[in-house]
Amino acid sequence: MHAIDRRGFIKALAAASTASILSIPGAHAAKTKARVVVVGGGFGGATAAKYLRLLDASIDVTLIEREAVYTSCPLSNEVISGDRAIKTLQVGYKGLQKRGIKVVRDEVTQIDPVKKTVATASGKSFSYDALVLSPGVDFHFDAVAGLTEALAQTTLPHAWKAGPQTLILQKQLAAMPDGGTFIIAVPPGPFRCPPGPYERAAQVALHCKHHGKKKAKVLILDANDSFSKKALFEQAWKELYGYGEGGMIEWVSGSNDGKVERVDPESKTCFTGFGEFKGDVVNIIPPHHAGKIAKNLGLASFKDRWCEVKPDSMESLKAKDIYVIGDACIGGELASNNAFPKSAHMAMSQAKVVAANLVAKFNALPAPQAIYTNTCYSVVAHDWGFSVVHLYRVRDGQWVYIKEGSGISPVTFGTKEKPEPVPRIYRRLEVEYADGWLRNVMADAFA
Amino acid sequence: MRKVVLAAALFWVSGVATAALDVEVLARTCNNCHGVSGVSVGHSMPSIGGLPKEYLKTVMKQWKYDERGAATMNRIVKGFSDDEIDALAVYFSKKRWVPVPQSVSAKLLAKGKAAISENCEDCHGLTGSDPDEDAPKINGQWAKYMQLELEKYRDDGFKMPHRKMKKTARKMNQADVPAAAHYYGAQRK
Repeated sequence: MHAIDRRGFIKALAAASTASILSIPGAHAAKTKARVVVVGGGFGGATAAKYLRLLDASIDVTLIEREAVYTSCPLSNEVISGDRAIKTLQVGYKGLQKRGIKVVRDEVTQIDPVKKTVATASGKSFSYDALVLSPGVDFHFDAVAGLTEALAQTTLPHAWKAGPQTLILQKQLAAMPDGGTFIIAVPPGPFRCPPGPYERAAQVALHCKHHGKKKAKVLILDANDSFSKKALFEQAWKELYGYGEGGMIEWVSGSNDGKVERVDPESKTCFTGFGEFKGDVVNIIPPHHAGKIAKNLGLASFKDRWCEVKPDSMESLKAKDIYVIGDACIGGELASNNAFPKSAHMAMSQAKVVAANLVAKFNALPAPQAIYTNTCYSVVAHDWGFSVVHLYRVRDGQWVYIKEGSGISPVTFGTKEKPEPVPRIYRRLEVEYADGWLRNVMADAFA
Repeated sequence: MRKVVLAAALFWVSGVATAALDVEVLARTCNNCHGVSGVSVGHSMPSIGGLPKEYLKTVMKQWKYDERGAATMNRIVKGFSDDEIDALAVYFSKKRWVPVPQSVSAKLLAKGKAAISENCEDCHGLTGSDPDEDAPKINGQWAKYMQLELEKYRDDGFKMPHRKMKKTARKMNQADVPAAAHYYGAQRK
């Protein structure tokens, strides 16, 4: 009985989605079908491919991705602590195939922006009218002396791309003895998932607390002087795990010599400018930049790391008809220090802007307005979570950060003079919402 | 078909001038958490497609003007104008209400039925599909979400506006809360 219900539900879902979305009548039926190639099947790329087909089923969409299964980075810190099974974060590409998207498992090796073609490792070639690049990030291992890609895959996992390294780190933490030190080295910003390292610290502490490792230490060696949701993290760390002198979690800022310059893989020692810190588990998150395929094409014009794009369309500033979304791009209100956060939700939002824009363009319709939103939950205990939301609009061709529709969960209630604690139900709700968010974004992008 | 053509024509007219209100674009930002067409697949997140327009408007504006507590939504809606909120409410109210299949326990269902006939049925009806004017549909809404909502009404620290809901939710036994949510979640029609 249950199976039938579920089938009915899936059918109803499909009916609901096709009936509702504005679909363009055969405006370009006479022309050749527009061809879009999407490179990268993460949250950004998958969403772009799906929404292109949702908005105009006549578009020929090819998604090129090297893995068969995607693993969500959001909530993967819960896998490290042992609180979540990694399979709850995994999804394949069948849902997109059912929408008529050609999913090609391959690696893009070359893009020719003049001929408008994409070449792959297996020797295939694809022509495009528009190219959506959602390549994520690649890591700059040389920035930390002694660190290599091979070490990251074995003894010094960064686990900053969810998958095998997440599980290695989980095993290392499980094997860490009481009294052991877990070091998290944070690279200079901007980096993928701004609150991620600090959520990870909490999840590691949670594991230790629940596994009788009361004397364990979580040491965050940070290249930066502040971080996302800082007041919320510090409050939770203090209350739940002890923070600072004598606490389980300790944070060393960049100006306090927190930046890790070198590592000795044998002794698992991290070297900062003047200090050395020996860990039992060493989790160095290397600095990263736009995925190689975008960077090699010369699109990473911002500090040689990130791809600059147009606010109303996400089209690259460097190459016509190439749209760069997700962690690889940079956008937002940079002057006020409100850049787009590098998050899954943000990537999906950018993907929807691109899809709407391309559909309008292919059908010779005026461009729709662009709006960008973000929601990002951090889970620091089974009953303690919080979030940050962002809203950006485009005015006069520029991104505008909308302060009224943005911000973190409240740190305190009451007034500034007389602060009161936030009732625990708020923190508990956001743990539940984090899970609901995950299930819905996975479906919105991949189903 | 005619409807589709009309929508495209409106798209034409509205786009050129200034940033004309394009409710589809706005609604797509809701999809991340509430599903395409407002059909959620996340247990803690409510489906919103097919809920009454007035209910959706009221709740969003209560969040915007701090008349109703929320963990996340009260921050999000503050970035939207009243006109945009109204347009979103109309948009989602026109979607089809899709009850979501959830695992059902006969024991909990029976307990829930007793709990709702005492506390909820007067306003929400026996199945939750045909409620009083100011109430949302709750047949096949996610049980987890409804349980969390009831907990909000029962918590002193949570600002909830509806006097009758508050009073009723608070007089329920703790064990009846998940049971009532389970009961309405299990209703298919």
